[in-house]
Amino acid sequence: MSIHLRRRAVVLGVKVSDEALLAGMAAGDIDAAATFVRRFQARVYGLALAVVGAAPDAEEVAQEAFVRAWRHAGNFDPRRGRVSTWLLTITRNVAIDMLRVRRDLPVDPAAVAEVLVSGVDDIDRRTESDHIAGALRSIPREQAVAVVLAVHFGLTAREISERQEIPLGTAKTRIRTGLARLRSKLEVSRDRSD
Amino acid sequence: MTDRTECAELADLLAEVAVGSASGPDRAQVLRHLNDCDECRQELEELSRLADDVLLIAPEHEPPAAFESAVLDRVTASAPRWPTARRWFTRPAVQLAAAAIFAVAGAGVVWQATTDDRELAAGYRETLDVADGQYFAAAPVTDDGGTEVGHVFLYDGDPSWVFAVLGPAATPGDYAVAVRTRDGVSTIATCLVKTAGCGGGATIDARIASILDVRLIGSDGTSFTADLTSRRSAK
Repeated sequence: MSIHLRRRAVVLGVKVSDEALLAGMAAGDIDAAATFVRRFQARVYGLALAVVGAAPDAEEVAQEAFVRAWRHAGNFDPRRGRVSTWLLTITRNVAIDMLRVRRDLPVDPAAVAEVLVSGVDDIDRRTESDHIAGALRSIPREQAVAVVLAVHFGLTAREISERQEIPLGTAKTRIRTGLARLRSKLEVSRDRSD
Repeated sequence: MTDRTECAELADLLAEVAVGSASGPDRAQVLRHLNDCDECRQELEELSRLADDVLLIAPEHEPPAAFESAVLDRVTASAPRWPTARRWFTRPAVQLAAAAIFAVAGAGVVWQATTDDRELAAGYRETLDVADGQYFAAAPVTDDGGTEVGHVFLYDGDPSWVFAVLGPAATPGDYAVAVRTRDGVSTIATCLVKTAGCGGGATIDARIASILDVRLIGSDGTSFTADLTSRRSAK
């Protein structure tokens, strides 16, 4: 019955929550899945493209991410985060899997990280991520890049130290200090908006 | 009791675990510490949420046309999403056989080194006979970097079964145990990692020899694999 109601809500143009769509998917509702894909496909494909670089591979990653989301929809726990970040985490993991298997992909994580931190595509971003992007730009650049290299590309501190040609301890400190500063910046901006 | 010195020592590792880039041993060290330290557990949760938010900075791009229909085709073609869960613990007879076989598997190394040990060899044969077994096998489960995070144990008999074990290096959460043969992929069980690993498996209809790999797929998309194309078996 509830699935029926959700379908109707979609038809009438009422925005169904992300969590409700996942609940529908967990119950096998293909209409919920279609709405879910339409809602998140640009974000998922955008992240996949940023990580793997090539459009056909990004499409494969994005498709696989949605299939996994469908399979695991029932396991989503709203107490542990938002649907969007849960889905993007899946996408990131699938993309990293591909990078590790397809070593021929012409990806330069450091260059991509620089671009992501610079935010040249701000115009395409959603409001939800604006404050994150702003906070990243407000911390020392080398720390922001280290955080993005770890978060988006799954690079270990050792891999970052090798790619950036910096001591391992420095790479670790950049990740740790970068995350700590990012948290502080976001808390300050949150306090101001309250 | 919380060891403050250890908290300070693990501060760097907490950030690495939060961003998902810690090595298996480092992750295991942190998870062991979290068993006794609520403060660090809460810190890790906050850092993890923050790290996940950083993924949002990737710019959006519309995928090629027909993307949505391609996804839905794959979704509708996929097997039942969660196992018809023939859970291991619901099969006491098989469980007993497995316990015996596990014991022999553990002793298998000794058996290979002391082939004159007739008693042990006889025990092995008797164990296989419990369920018309032909052989058992084991293979390491590794992450994408090749770090060992667990094992799978397989028994070829009537019925055959697969049992996967994840160690403490695995991030807490649900893992689907998926068995791949040339005929396709089938999810046979789930394995719930809380703080210190998990185990899960089921009887299967396929012969063990036909299995190409066993994958443990986390709810966050993390994937571990046991490659069985070059597995160690004790026939």
